[in-house]
Amino acid sequence: MSGGPPKALPSTGPHSLRDMPHPLAGSSSEEAVGGDSTPSPDLLMTRSFGDKDLILPNGGTPAGTSSPASSSSLLNRLQLDDDIDGETRDLFVTVDDPKKHVCTMETYITYRITTKSTRVEFDLPEYSVRRRYQDFDWLRNKLEESQPTHLIPPLPEKFVVKGVVDRFSEEFVETRRKALDKFLKRITDHPVLSFNEHFNVFLTAKDLNAYKKQGMALLTRVGESVKHVTGGYKLRSRPLEFAAIGEYLDTFALKLGTIDRIAQRIIKEEIEYLVELREYGPVYSTWSALEGELAEPLEGVSACIGNCSTALEELTDDMTEDFLPVLREYILYSDSMKSVLKKRDQVQAEYETKLEAVALRKEDRPKVPADVEKCQDRMECFNADLKADMERWQNNKRQDFRQLLMGMADKNIQYYEKCLTAWESIIPLLQEKQEAK
Amino acid sequence: MEGARSEPERQLQPAPLEPLGGLDAEQDAAVGEEAEGDLEEGSEDRKMTENNFSLKKIEISVSEAEKRSGRNAVNMQETYTAYLVETRSVEHIDGQSVLTDSLWRRYSEFELLRSYLLVYYPHVVVPPLPEKRAEFVWHKLSADNMDPDFVERRRIGLENFLLRVASHPILCRDKIFYLFLTQESNWKETVNETGFQLKADSRLKALNATFRVKNPDKRFTELKHYSDELQSVISHLLRVRARVADRLYGVYKVHGNYGRVFSEWSAIEKEMGDGLQSAGHHMDVYASSIDDILEDEEHYADQLKEYLFYAEALRAVCRKHELMQYDLEMAAQDLASKKQQCEELATGTVRTFSLKGMTTKLFGQETPEQKEARIKVLEEQINEGEQQLKSKNLEGREFVKNAWADIERFKEQKNRDLKEALISYAVMQISMCKKGIQVWTNAKECFSKM
Repeated sequence: MSGGPPKALPSTGPHSLRDMPHPLAGSSSEEAVGGDSTPSPDLLMTRSFGDKDLILPNGGTPAGTSSPASSSSLLNRLQLDDDIDGETRDLFVTVDDPKKHVCTMETYITYRITTKSTRVEFDLPEYSVRRRYQDFDWLRNKLEESQPTHLIPPLPEKFVVKGVVDRFSEEFVETRRKALDKFLKRITDHPVLSFNEHFNVFLTAKDLNAYKKQGMALLTRVGESVKHVTGGYKLRSRPLEFAAIGEYLDTFALKLGTIDRIAQRIIKEEIEYLVELREYGPVYSTWSALEGELAEPLEGVSACIGNCSTALEELTDDMTEDFLPVLREYILYSDSMKSVLKKRDQVQAEYETKLEAVALRKEDRPKVPADVEKCQDRMECFNADLKADMERWQNNKRQDFRQLLMGMADKNIQYYEKCLTAWESIIPLLQEKQEAK
Repeated sequence: MEGARSEPERQLQPAPLEPLGGLDAEQDAAVGEEAEGDLEEGSEDRKMTENNFSLKKIEISVSEAEKRSGRNAVNMQETYTAYLVETRSVEHIDGQSVLTDSLWRRYSEFELLRSYLLVYYPHVVVPPLPEKRAEFVWHKLSADNMDPDFVERRRIGLENFLLRVASHPILCRDKIFYLFLTQESNWKETVNETGFQLKADSRLKALNATFRVKNPDKRFTELKHYSDELQSVISHLLRVRARVADRLYGVYKVHGNYGRVFSEWSAIEKEMGDGLQSAGHHMDVYASSIDDILEDEEHYADQLKEYLFYAEALRAVCRKHELMQYDLEMAAQDLASKKQQCEELATGTVRTFSLKGMTTKLFGQETPEQKEARIKVLEEQINEGEQQLKSKNLEGREFVKNAWADIERFKEQKNRDLKEALISYAVMQISMCKKGIQVWTNAKECFSKM
């Protein structure tokens, strides 16, 4: 097990609520840069973000425009993003500098969010705010609500499953910070989500709580409409591609779960191995104390085993902190994706049912009624968004896993290299001819 | 596994063709003297052989093991393993070896040989036998005596034992040892005929001596202490090592599960599939590599075990010294008391309590003639006692000298052997690390192609 108690973060200490500046007000951040202006309510009102529209600084999207042209423009945008690969990127977000806050009611951690952007949606080129996990959770819910046709990245787990883990230990906080950073970066990379109004506020507002209380800002058009989709419609047949995605996600989640279990098992076995090694090394030391000529060689072996033990501990720590959380994230990701797929099914089902109802009616109307058209519209939007997001997700997944697994291999290589160095360095010691004592 | 020794089979001085002195059952001399006699005559023999015979080198090997069925002492069917002991003599000129003797021995015969050597060479640190039953096993290793791996390691251990005896300057000249290598039939009877079991010191006597001896040589006391500690530390080491091996096995084997799941996962992936699949294969390789690694490590454990058992042999020499010393002290004490008795009788003073004194007081003095007779007997006994004490003293000093010489020889051997063992252990670890680096580098490359 890790030596020593987990390190605690520096804390702001207990203060009376009145004296302490509100940590989320942004003034506790070290940088004086930006973050001071909250977008005025007026500005908020006039902006609306259609998920398919190019962003217009004023005015919203006219209602009623239908999909196909816009979805192709979305695809174009996607391709552009892939080609650019960060060079003409105009938004950068980082999560760092965790700090512990101790209040009378509760103790919690905040993270500094630094935003740099040339986008017109941002009044200032740079912002720095402090947010806590609760705020991230809020953001994610808002995104799910307002962009239901898109895949929203997962957050690290809210509650710590293993009750033994210290919420304030340096290791835990660092793991969480990395995950939160990843979360924001995924949103940043998303051509639609990154323009989401709630996201903007999250990155820039001095007082997020005030904004939260404000009640609902505008939902996107589609968000509004999808929100009202009722369940209970039966789906006729799922289009092949979505059926395939569903099946894929099922198997994917299963396999990840297995890998998670295997990884945990390996770490457990390695820790047990470490326990034995920590007893093994010192026995050579004990023996060394009995001997004359053999004393140095035996002591050397003892030290060597000690070095290997330390290397092993570093390996298990790394795997616990870096490998397992990412796996879990992806499992959460596929779970949330499944629910988006379900919603899509519902939207399609509603459309099909209504269409059928119309066809069955004995009326002679040649025109399809408006509400059925709306359903069709919704469905096609959804399908297009989802398809685009899936492609993007697949690509990112490949890169993420490539990096993750290469990282795992790397850590193991480093472990063995450390051990190799230790053992190679004692060979000359062992071979040394000692002068007659 | 080939012969464990890093040196090739040890070369022997020629086994003497005439029997060494002192091994006839008819001689009743005390053990110590017999050993002494061996030493003196042996060295003379050696001188003789060196002068009169051309040097022939001998190689010994325990080359095979075979399961046998037979009837034991109580006429019951039993299965045992027999080992083929082969002796070759190497012509000095051309280096060709010719098989001169080949016979089968079972473990109990090796034990008999060793027991014999312990009795006749108490001043020698007698090489130990490999363990009778598998101990310090980690879970995958069988504790079954019939298990082929155990039998194989035992075969090597037995060969090692014979080589150690053959390369010992004193033990190699022993006739019974020579017959062990050359005379299959009736060897057991021959050994038993020496009556060595009768000459063995009783355990009880030895224990008694250990507690009661007043003035043992300090070096032996220290050596005894050292061998106790050595035994304790090596036992501990072997126990923990077995647990370490167990855990290491677990770590490697679990990685094999990655192989399977990567394979299954690759089936649903397009671009990632190949990379995952081939990485999975490397995980399988990794998982299966541990079997050979741990088998090699058993060899290291066996080397440690030999010295664990050697600690017992060291203690046996110390015990012998304590026994002889105690014997000497008792003899001296006895002599002193007899002298005192004699003096008291002669001068008429009674200084110490004696039964005779008591009865004299109760029943009256004895006659001068009776007194004279008793004094005479005592004086004879005193004379004898003084002779005995002298020879015991000499024996004791000879023993200490010879034993310490062998102990020094043993110390050198131990330091050499254990250093070698540690080096080969380090080499094993290095090899394991390199294999690990190799596998994970391959896996990393596969992942990079995902």
